[in-house]
Amino acid sequence: MAVESSAPAAVERIHRLDRIWAERPGLTGWITTTDHKRIGLLYLATSLAFFAAGGAEALVMRTQLAEPKEHVIGPATYDQLMTMHGVTMIFFFVIPLSIGAFGNYLVPLMIGARDMAFPRMNAFSYWLFLGSGVLVYTSLLLGMAPDAGWFDYVPLASRRFSPGLGIDFYALGLILNGISSTAAAANFLVTIAKLRAPGMSLNRMPLFCYAILATAFSLIFALPALTADLVFLELDRKLDFRFFDVAHGGDPLLWQHLFWIFGHPEVYIIVLPAFGIATSIIPTFTRRMMAAFPLVAVAELLVAFIGFGVWVHHMFATGLPQMTMVFFAAASLIIVIPSGIQIFAWCMTLVTGQPEFKTPLLFIVGFIVFFVFGGLSGITLAAVPFDQQVTDTYYVVAHFHYVIWGAAVFPLLGGLYYWFPKVTGRMYHERIGQLTFWLVFAGTNLTFFPMHISGMDGMPRRVWTYPSGLGWGLTNLLSTIGAFLLAGGLVALLVNLVVSAYRGAPAGPNPYGGATLEWATTSPPPPYNFAVIPQVTSAYASWDEDDRASDRRRLEHGDLVLEEGHRTTASTPVDGHLDGVLHMPSESPWPFVLGVVATLGTAFVLTDHYLIAALTAALAAGVLTLWHAKEPAEA
Amino acid sequence: MTTTPIPRARPNGWYGMLVLVATESALFGALLATYAYLHFHDPRWPPPGIEPPSITAPLVLSLVLVATIAPMALAARTARRRRAGPLVAPIALALIVQVAYLAFQAHLYADDLDRFSAGGSAYGSIYFTLLAVHHAHVGVGVLLDCWLLARVRGGLTEYRRGAVMAIALYWYFVGLVGLAVTATILIPSW
Repeated sequence: MAVESSAPAAVERIHRLDRIWAERPGLTGWITTTDHKRIGLLYLATSLAFFAAGGAEALVMRTQLAEPKEHVIGPATYDQLMTMHGVTMIFFFVIPLSIGAFGNYLVPLMIGARDMAFPRMNAFSYWLFLGSGVLVYTSLLLGMAPDAGWFDYVPLASRRFSPGLGIDFYALGLILNGISSTAAAANFLVTIAKLRAPGMSLNRMPLFCYAILATAFSLIFALPALTADLVFLELDRKLDFRFFDVAHGGDPLLWQHLFWIFGHPEVYIIVLPAFGIATSIIPTFTRRMMAAFPLVAVAELLVAFIGFGVWVHHMFATGLPQMTMVFFAAASLIIVIPSGIQIFAWCMTLVTGQPEFKTPLLFIVGFIVFFVFGGLSGITLAAVPFDQQVTDTYYVVAHFHYVIWGAAVFPLLGGLYYWFPKVTGRMYHERIGQLTFWLVFAGTNLTFFPMHISGMDGMPRRVWTYPSGLGWGLTNLLSTIGAFLLAGGLVALLVNLVVSAYRGAPAGPNPYGGATLEWATTSPPPPYNFAVIPQVTSAYASWDEDDRASDRRRLEHGDLVLEEGHRTTASTPVDGHLDGVLHMPSESPWPFVLGVVATLGTAFVLTDHYLIAALTAALAAGVLTLWHAKEPAEA
Repeated sequence: MTTTPIPRARPNGWYGMLVLVATESALFGALLATYAYLHFHDPRWPPPGIEPPSITAPLVLSLVLVATIAPMALAARTARRRRAGPLVAPIALALIVQVAYLAFQAHLYADDLDRFSAGGSAYGSIYFTLLAVHHAHVGVGVLLDCWLLARVRGGLTEYRRGAVMAIALYWYFVGLVGLAVTATILIPSW
């Protein structure tokens, strides 16, 4: 039940909604579901499984590097693990967790909608993501994983120097993954533009949704550069095209340009949802609205925009013209401005509010520390001469782990705690939660801080071992100890959440007095999210008690309950005026089937069965026809 | 009180197509930029032994494809206004022209493949890739048209209305991007 009410008319309406929105039970229900919350949970479970795999890869590498001349694994295995660690953490963990899990679960709830704009495409995004992950991980099980680094530079990645199937697994898997992310991003853009609750004009939209909006924009415009690059690579490798072959007029730097035109916006794609989570958690635990709300909203969008103009700073050591490098160094430094606006806004909100340092807020404070630190080492790297000095050393590894692990993932961990009561209806264990924060915080610093020193002392990245007598032993040993401490903290975090899911105290709809609309419904929310579509008059809708009381009255009158079928409201994109009522599609097996067919088709291309792959494409067209056979209004 | 007003704004499907068009534009942007990048790095463009493409046929063909925007726009207008009007006939007309366009282009493509290979030079690689991606977009559009015709013969519903508007938008994009592709491959011919 989404709104507490004992009036008979209201109870009857809620029963009707329960019947309309019920999905199939059991495993079939999970396969055919179009409920954004269940899809979000599927993303959560899958991305955490990949996180465990990527983490295990990291621990094996750290064990190998603990001391000079170790022989835990050989160089070939090390290269595979290093590549898989990067690919996994970026494409199969952080993005699916932040956009797929948090975005999916929360955006419709925060904007007061009953589902995403395209529920079946949402399911398809998930199944395709799963297919791409299974495909890429098959290579590791077969012992032929990609081994040219996550950025996969040619000519190393060309067929001449990487003759196995590893690079093909990488390229084709990431093309599938990119299609999945594009579909998800399109879904978020339309959902945010069209499905906001009546009254939620753009200036009343929660900042988390701004962050997801900025991320989705970046994905839409950044991913095609990667897709084109990967297609060129596969054409070169499989059909002897010459995109990257200098002898025939091609250019290896073309790969790097296209890769980083995608790759730098990608950094902001990773970190923006984290900003959004920070702006959700801070107001709740400081009991005040975000300082400089409009500036933070604009800064989130601006970071995404400027992120498209800085890619060459990954290529300062490739011999580009001085003028080009100066331009891109300047552009890279400008990012400091929108980032600074956000940092100051977070700090001001903390300082001027009444902060209560519960576990989620602790993770956000940790995030601010890491973001400032990683940002400062980022400024040193934007200086061309310094960058050329430390390129390809552990200093760079230290920098991007502070940013991507410390700044991007800490809010995700805080978010896991923060929304845990909403998803499960139970509270996590607060003291163990705080303990896990300190373990993970200490582990992160112990792992990644010494890497700055290893790098300054000249230790190159991507080496499987190193000789003794160079002074790298101590810092590497500290990093390895830190990595295991970090892993221990993460295991404790997982245990806390799993045990609390069964034994935690009941949470109620709004255990922390949260401000956004997801706290206005029950924990966990019903399949239709809200028994009555909320009407919104501010960005902190759950703090507007009059509005929520009016929701309860409207439920009794049946105003915008939409109890005639799978329905939700549509609003105008800017002002959020009620524009109409939409028939939403319901559960369907076809997104799953299409995901399987697309993955199989890609596997056939991978193994050079082009005719069968073409037949699979025809089959996919058939599946799409069946998918659209029934119109939502007929269901 | 159960009011179900009819939406006045454009349907979600149209917005979805707008985003698809945006991301596909970025894809073509990457391909066209690659053409320019490789061109700037190789003064012999096209390399010796390859004739620059002839101007007339590609130019006329892409103008014909752009012209199919008109009937698609007509059908989209009928759908948008939710009134009786030309719908099936303009889509069918556009479909016939688009199929003819695709067949003619496939013929030219095969001819080009006889003259030089994609694997012989970076020029050949980007030339054939760029055209193939464009033709694939036309092919997908043709399939969408066939599906749409089968649907709208039974009349317009809210769902089909969105489909007509979205698929028309797709064709505006494919037509205009076709012009950009043609202008790019003809650079060495001017």
